[in-house]
Amino acid sequence: MTMKTIYKFIIVANVIFALVMVSSCSDKLDELPLNTSFTEDVDYTISENMILPLKGAYEAVYTRGWEEFPLISVRGDDVNHGGLGDQQDYAETDKYNYNKDFWMYNSLWQVSYNDIFMCHSAMEQIEKYQEFASNPALGDQYIAEAKVLRAFLLFQVTRVWGDVFIPTNSVPTDLVGVMPTTKDEMMQHLSDQMDEAIPYLLDIHPNKRSDIRGGVTKYTALAIQALANLELKNYQGVADATSEIINSGEFKLSGDFYNLFKIPGKLDDENIFEYQYSDFGQASGDRTSYLFAFFGPQGAFYNPKVEGAGGGWGFYEPSIKWIKFMLDRGETTRLQTSVLFTPRGIAEIQKDAAYATLPEWISNVTPSGDEVLDYPRAMFSSGKHYLPSDQLIPGRNDYGSNNNFRCIRYAEVLLMHAEALTRGASSSVMTADEAVNEVRGRAGLTDLSGVTSEQVMDEKFAELAMEWGTRFYDMVRLGNYAELSYEGRTFTEDKIYLPYPQNQVDQLPVLKDYQR
Amino acid sequence: MKKTLFVITMLLVSTLLFAQQMLTVKGKVTDASNVGLPGVTVAIQGSAQGTITDIDGNYILQVSSDAVLVYSFIGFEKQEIPVNNQTDINVVLQESMKLVDEVVVVGYGEMKVKDLTSSITTVKSDDLAKTPSGQPMQALQGKVSGMQIVSSGAPGEAPTVRVRGIGSYPGIGDTNPLYVVDGMFFDDITFLNPSDIASISVLKDASAAAIYGVRAANGVILIETKSGSKNQKAIISYDGYYGTQVAQNVVKMANAEQFTAMAYESGSDPDVSYIENAMQRYGRSRVNPNVPDVNTDWYDAILRHGQVQNHSINVAGGGESATYSIGASYFEEQGILDMKNEFERFNLRSKLDYEANDWFTIGGNVLFSNSTRYAPDNSAWSRAYWAVPIMPVIDELNVDAWPTPYSDATVLGYRGPQNPFTSMDFSNDRTKNRKTLANFYAKIDILPSKLSFKTTYNASIESQLIRNVRLPYYITDNYRRDEEDASVTSRTNTYFNQIWDNVVTYTDSFGDHNLTVMLGSEYRDEAYDRLNAQGLGFPYQNEESWYVGQSSNIPVEQVYDEASRYYGLSYFGRISYNFKNRYLLYGTYRADGTSKYQEKWGYFPTVGAGWVLSEEGFMQDIDFLDYLKLRASWGQLGNNSVPASDGASTTDNVYLAIDDIYEYGTQTSSTFDYLKWEVTEETNFGVTTNWLNNRLSAEADYYIRDTKNAVIPIQVPFVGGSVRRNLGEIRNSGFELALNWSDKINSDLSYSVGFNMSTLKNEVRDLYGQEYIDGGSAEFRQRSIVGESILAFYGWETDGVYSSWDEVNNDPIAVANNLEPGDYKYKDQQAEGEEGYGVIDGEDRVVLGSYLPSFMYGGNLGLQYKNFEFSASFYGQTGNKILNRKRGQVIWTPDLNMDADLATNRTQISLDENNNVVDVVKVGKYPSSKGLRKGWNQKMSDYFVEDGAFFRIQNVQLAYNLKGQEWFGTAMPNMRISLTAERPLTVFNYNGFNPEVSNGVDLQTYPIPAVYTIGLNVKF
Repeated sequence: MTMKTIYKFIIVANVIFALVMVSSCSDKLDELPLNTSFTEDVDYTISENMILPLKGAYEAVYTRGWEEFPLISVRGDDVNHGGLGDQQDYAETDKYNYNKDFWMYNSLWQVSYNDIFMCHSAMEQIEKYQEFASNPALGDQYIAEAKVLRAFLLFQVTRVWGDVFIPTNSVPTDLVGVMPTTKDEMMQHLSDQMDEAIPYLLDIHPNKRSDIRGGVTKYTALAIQALANLELKNYQGVADATSEIINSGEFKLSGDFYNLFKIPGKLDDENIFEYQYSDFGQASGDRTSYLFAFFGPQGAFYNPKVEGAGGGWGFYEPSIKWIKFMLDRGETTRLQTSVLFTPRGIAEIQKDAAYATLPEWISNVTPSGDEVLDYPRAMFSSGKHYLPSDQLIPGRNDYGSNNNFRCIRYAEVLLMHAEALTRGASSSVMTADEAVNEVRGRAGLTDLSGVTSEQVMDEKFAELAMEWGTRFYDMVRLGNYAELSYEGRTFTEDKIYLPYPQNQVDQLPVLKDYQR
Repeated sequence: MKKTLFVITMLLVSTLLFAQQMLTVKGKVTDASNVGLPGVTVAIQGSAQGTITDIDGNYILQVSSDAVLVYSFIGFEKQEIPVNNQTDINVVLQESMKLVDEVVVVGYGEMKVKDLTSSITTVKSDDLAKTPSGQPMQALQGKVSGMQIVSSGAPGEAPTVRVRGIGSYPGIGDTNPLYVVDGMFFDDITFLNPSDIASISVLKDASAAAIYGVRAANGVILIETKSGSKNQKAIISYDGYYGTQVAQNVVKMANAEQFTAMAYESGSDPDVSYIENAMQRYGRSRVNPNVPDVNTDWYDAILRHGQVQNHSINVAGGGESATYSIGASYFEEQGILDMKNEFERFNLRSKLDYEANDWFTIGGNVLFSNSTRYAPDNSAWSRAYWAVPIMPVIDELNVDAWPTPYSDATVLGYRGPQNPFTSMDFSNDRTKNRKTLANFYAKIDILPSKLSFKTTYNASIESQLIRNVRLPYYITDNYRRDEEDASVTSRTNTYFNQIWDNVVTYTDSFGDHNLTVMLGSEYRDEAYDRLNAQGLGFPYQNEESWYVGQSSNIPVEQVYDEASRYYGLSYFGRISYNFKNRYLLYGTYRADGTSKYQEKWGYFPTVGAGWVLSEEGFMQDIDFLDYLKLRASWGQLGNNSVPASDGASTTDNVYLAIDDIYEYGTQTSSTFDYLKWEVTEETNFGVTTNWLNNRLSAEADYYIRDTKNAVIPIQVPFVGGSVRRNLGEIRNSGFELALNWSDKINSDLSYSVGFNMSTLKNEVRDLYGQEYIDGGSAEFRQRSIVGESILAFYGWETDGVYSSWDEVNNDPIAVANNLEPGDYKYKDQQAEGEEGYGVIDGEDRVVLGSYLPSFMYGGNLGLQYKNFEFSASFYGQTGNKILNRKRGQVIWTPDLNMDADLATNRTQISLDENNNVVDVVKVGKYPSSKGLRKGWNQKMSDYFVEDGAFFRIQNVQLAYNLKGQEWFGTAMPNMRISLTAERPLTVFNYNGFNPEVSNGVDLQTYPIPAVYTIGLNVKF
């Protein structure tokens, strides 16, 4: 009997022990997830890390979808959709027939806004570092840089849709229920933002920065301010901003227009802002890149000098209207740089008796020796987005690999300056003639005197074709719809803005009945 | 004390010895078909003595001449035979139709089927064995009402299993049910060989599953592996089959002639030029000189027959105090995609239970599984759909190509190379999976047969070695992978999960009151680690060199590790009570704690009640009714498949180039998840009944299952993506019925017929006051609207195509949208006079259907005549829709091939030289080739959303039994030879390979093959 009692006692003791053991594990429930850096765990007292959120913002802005730039820039009379038979609604957009269900619209909106919010997030993070930083002024500079990056994206979104939303912090849902801001208010907002940022920004050329070479400086902000004021037709504002850039003496036009858009032109003195990418000098492995293949001649019909270099998708075709315009002006440098010809394209130009005889240099072989054969999807490719095969790092074959994407050039600043002056603004820094002639001189053209607005617009057309839809937005601003009604298209005022993407209308009910 | 007892017993026995004459009785116990039954208990009535039959059914026993022998065996009717001085007593036991005496596992214990108040369906090993599949759950398709199994065709991949609809928002966590294998929790059981399984029990309603609390919301499936039984001579059995897998219902694609015609009607000059390029390159067809002399059937090219085989050996038996079961099995399956695409699994297992003494039992169970899987390149399924038929598989004109001169569509002018073979041939994705499941228990009987305590430790250790290799190749400049870009990715995943259970069970009867109480606690620890690295430019020629360390370049970004470890702690209890076996009451309660969420503890109760009407006096006179029980239950379940929430914003490292230098920065997300428990609440009503001498049995259930606080990804406006919040309420409700009839006409002929069906209504009940939440993608919108099914397809309704210019010109909608004949007409959902009438816009979208079937049905037929056995089963579903996403690819790439149905039924048009439509040649069901490229016709509409209903002959098996044979004077073991056709026929209208698409979006679903096998089963 006693034995039984003993073993029962042992059992009961064991049972109690087992249950208690299990209970003692309850503090395990409070363990935090592994391998996660919680923002609250970030040590904001390490001041040298204050630059990390800023670099994060640069990464967000540099990382772009291939569909964004084409949608922003395709509608002008300088360029056509190309890529025939593919992305029908992209072609339709070029012809001013819009479809709010088209995936590219929604994608441009989302990707842009995502990065705009990311800039806000970076500003918020930098502020947290600033509390502990020995040099909080550096934080002010970083925040100002993020502001400028944000402004560049918001500027593009506004040009495409007109009235859009102004984020004030990094939380997207805070904008639900808020009404869109009108385009003019937005441009003013961007201009004001640049005023806020400028005092904190470095007063040097971006390529002279040692921490983030090629990043934002005071002049990036001024250039964006000029662009915003141009949209507002505040020409004095344009003149003031451009004057400051010109007066700094930091910028000069590249002597080699052809290579400005290629590897030698990365972080050139002419560039005010560019998206940076790199193969890091290696034949394989880590790489950041822009998808230039979109612009390239179709691969099977591309005969590069360096064997193995890949071609592209055959989109984004310089318009015949623009090519003829350039031929009429007797342009060589800019035309040769901006267009890759195919035999079919050359023949097409020659069909017009006035252009039966073309300058001898026009050829389907580029100055770098890459040959472009006839390809079905387009007759011409954009030369400003072309990288010669002999500039690729051996081992890297993707079209345009290792190249940067140019966003704002000093030439545009000069021409904005000239336009503002011809439209009544004043500047003591440089005259309209001087500004235009500086650009013309680099293109190998003779000087003009007493330039008119008309001539400046022509100069912009010639200089900035295939770049960011500058031509389209200029013509829209000036109400010159006749220029946009070309090659079978008819442009009317109701075509200025793309419709809001259906996906956004579904999520932001204020857009449903919103009238721009 | 024991000695005293023994002496007394001996004295009593000897007294009896003198009183009665003792006989030696021997005999054989057989079943109706005269096969010896091993393991039958032969007891002497009124005493504790008895014996058990041997493997052939023989027994021998010393009894007194006037004793009564009781023969009993699970699944058979008990028989009592007075000895009456006989010395040879052969007994034929009749199979019992009264399954209600059976016992089922219910989680931390067992219950008698007749005491159940909840809905549990059990499938036994015999039924599993009919399906030649490596996946245990595949065998349950169509067998369990209320459970949807969506097959998976890829070797080694588990089917999708849904118990009673979808309670959790899809795509958030895995919606797999909880599998409890001998006490251990698993999310998937691909490591198990079906032949090692003794039974699978599906706990369908919340009341049954609630004992598993937080893990139970997606259903609980209990699996018991085979074990031995006491006093049983070793039974050695072999089970095996060999067979082949064959693709079924291969989609017919447009041929070269149709494709060429489509290109000419596309209105796109480049497309015409591609055709011309193909004619130049490959010549012109002699039949039709305007068509290239190539006609590739890409599906035919990428398909093959795959072999499948399974061999398993099992040894089971037991003595007085120990039972054992030891087995080994090997399974191999080749996929039907013509690449290295296979699954191989070798399993070993052993199970041992030992009664150390009369109060202490100990046992252990170890299962080791070693499998290797070569994953298919699933993109081949969509690439073969899109690849143009005017291009051969091999293009000898690609003279510089190595190692194989595959064709490249960019040579003809197409944007992409299209050919699926490079990704099939030059990818090698191997996963080696080694898994060990071990559990050990000790059971102590504190009060014999009343109070017991059991402690169990379960562990599962899994190591996954994943190696993904991308080999170099060169086809053309635009279609290549250079040696320096060839990559080998090596990844190790380690999982170590432990569960420690402690359970006290008390069972007692007080007169007519029967009571069982169980109390327990559980501790869980689930840890996971991953290490990943990638190397570029490795010596690819020899497989021995496929290592990251051999590579010339190791990108920093691809080297990372990950880990997670979650703890769980639970307390639970169960009371089951009945009065006179007539009135049943049942309840469980579980408190679950987890480290996964911000809210640590969840509480999950359930109650159930049953009334066995057939036990009531007033029912006793009804002859044809054998058993009738009404059941009702209610319970709550938790769902912890929802991935852990961060609960706060996180900061990630990102990499960028600054001045050609590789630098890093940080990005802080401003959107993050914050989660509470997702709770499912279910009410179930059921009837269980047997009729006509138990020949007809029926089980019917109706349930309402509400998921409250459903975790739903809220699309973040502006930026896309989503954050998860507990915002919704989702209801699943349905009716389930299972009918079975079985009868024995005579000793040679018996048959059985079964039918089951279930309905399902899935409904979003609340979205935190919002009308809808969008899901799917922007182009293929799926929307969860209050009152509709979750993630319903949402878009425009087509209304035929414009058949003439007259029709176009007379319709303001067509004029406003620059339409042409051959474009779709969409239904204007607003009536005349309503706002929005006369325009087709976002307001004209409607719900186009759900991907969940609203009705599923299955049935089976079994026939046994002498030594022949025939069985057949079928399965079908209706009410679900499939998004034909392959057709939708036209939105991004318009010049690809299309299925033959689309080509045949397109609207044919004639075009002028400017590619404007002149006239309609033939009106079809679909838009014109030109129209298909226009955004107007690419709107999400019922054109893309098709009917997913299907009917299938699931399984047909013919078997012959060889029993008690003697060949050349030697006794042969019992053998069973079978021929099986699995899924020989599927009938459906959907324009795809395969009507089984788990999420309803068919982009690259691996087709489900038919399997034909020959099988052998031997028992020594």
